[in-house]
Amino acid sequence: MSDTKHTDSEKGSSAHGGLLRCVIVTPESTVLDIRARFITIPLFDGQRGVARGHSPFIGRLGSGGVRIVGEQGAAADAVRRMFVEGGFAEVGHDSVTLITQRAIPIEKLDVAKAKAELTALNASVAAGDEAIAAKMQAIATARAIVHAAEHQN
Amino acid sequence: MAKARALDRRRRSVKNIRKITRTMELIATARFKKAMDRSIAARDYTLRLANILENIAGEGAGIMHPLLEVRPTQKTGVLILTGNRGLCGGYNSNVVRQSMAAIGQWRSEGIPADVAVSGKRGISALKFRGIVTSARYTNFDDKPDFDAVKPIGMAYLAAFTTGQIDRLDVVYTKFDSIARQTAITEMILPLKTPEPSGKSGRSKLSSQEYDYYPSAESILEEILPASFLSRFYKCFLDAAVSEQVARMVAMKAATENAGGLIKDLSRRYNRARQSQITGEIMEILGGVEALKGA
Repeated sequence: MSDTKHTDSEKGSSAHGGLLRCVIVTPESTVLDIRARFITIPLFDGQRGVARGHSPFIGRLGSGGVRIVGEQGAAADAVRRMFVEGGFAEVGHDSVTLITQRAIPIEKLDVAKAKAELTALNASVAAGDEAIAAKMQAIATARAIVHAAEHQN
Repeated sequence: MAKARALDRRRRSVKNIRKITRTMELIATARFKKAMDRSIAARDYTLRLANILENIAGEGAGIMHPLLEVRPTQKTGVLILTGNRGLCGGYNSNVVRQSMAAIGQWRSEGIPADVAVSGKRGISALKFRGIVTSARYTNFDDKPDFDAVKPIGMAYLAAFTTGQIDRLDVVYTKFDSIARQTAITEMILPLKTPEPSGKSGRSKLSSQEYDYYPSAESILEEILPASFLSRFYKCFLDAAVSEQVARMVAMKAATENAGGLIKDLSRRYNRARQSQITGEIMEILGGVEALKGA
């Protein structure tokens, strides 16, 4: 991916200059506001990696894991993971803002609960367009939680 | 002695009340600070959403969305946000008065209003006034949870898009500053059409510089409900902050009044006690004089 190229080129640059500001906001608070080298965000159609200097875009987020690599003050290859549920990403030249309704550190995800929910949702029958859409949404979220928690490494 | 004793008893009870009001004032202050922090923390989300909306509006394409559609009002929704508890001055009564004005206006125009109310105080006040409410919530205190507010907002969104209501008004106490909170009726559906970013925009980039994934229209479709929910949530947050401020101010005044009352009662008690002692001395002296004569 072209984005990876950015990361590699930034590796050699000065500590602060190659960093990207990563902000995650939810309706209740700003969950995260840090500087890091690289971030992978779950867009609606798949993961996208962003480093400093990425061309600006505004994208719709899906549910899934966010991977933040090389956080300022931590080891160069330290990874912080979060789970976000829908929302939007605003990518500028040197910043990434995720505006989402829910953001939880991966370690705090309740996988057992999500799995039970997934089984229950698969067994349930939805009638009507809206109910079907809501069910599909809930299934996608539950799946994303399970996937994010089980594929941490 | 009877009068002095009664005054003393009253003074003691006022002292106890002062202790309670002072404690309530301190609790309200602590809760106000927390509620205020939450409200400030939530501001960022609203600002950033507004920023994206401005950018999309700046794209030039005319914005069309069901949530922006202004329809002639045939049925309306009114949500009233009051507190669960009293002892907060005119906080609840101001909101109830404001909501009665709004409901009265819809009535006079012959438009049916679907009234929902949050807070025990509002529920009982509206029941007393004979207003039928379709939903009653008592689970919002000083820390309204977004997860609890969201389903209510989603239900209003669905009602608006399916035409069950043509507009939604929220009656709540808007927090302007610590010295000023006003009970207002705010229309939050249909949403106001976003304006292209002007000088107030936070963005450093002009809207043309952004790419949109999958497209500006698709993002708009998602962002408008999110923007509505954040405004809706802000109403709950404002109401919570305002309630705590109102309680803080009311309890401060009550504590001060109790102090004044205690001072006054003490003075009266001392005077009564003194006059009683004087009376007793006079009686003894009278007795002595009488014995001398015998």
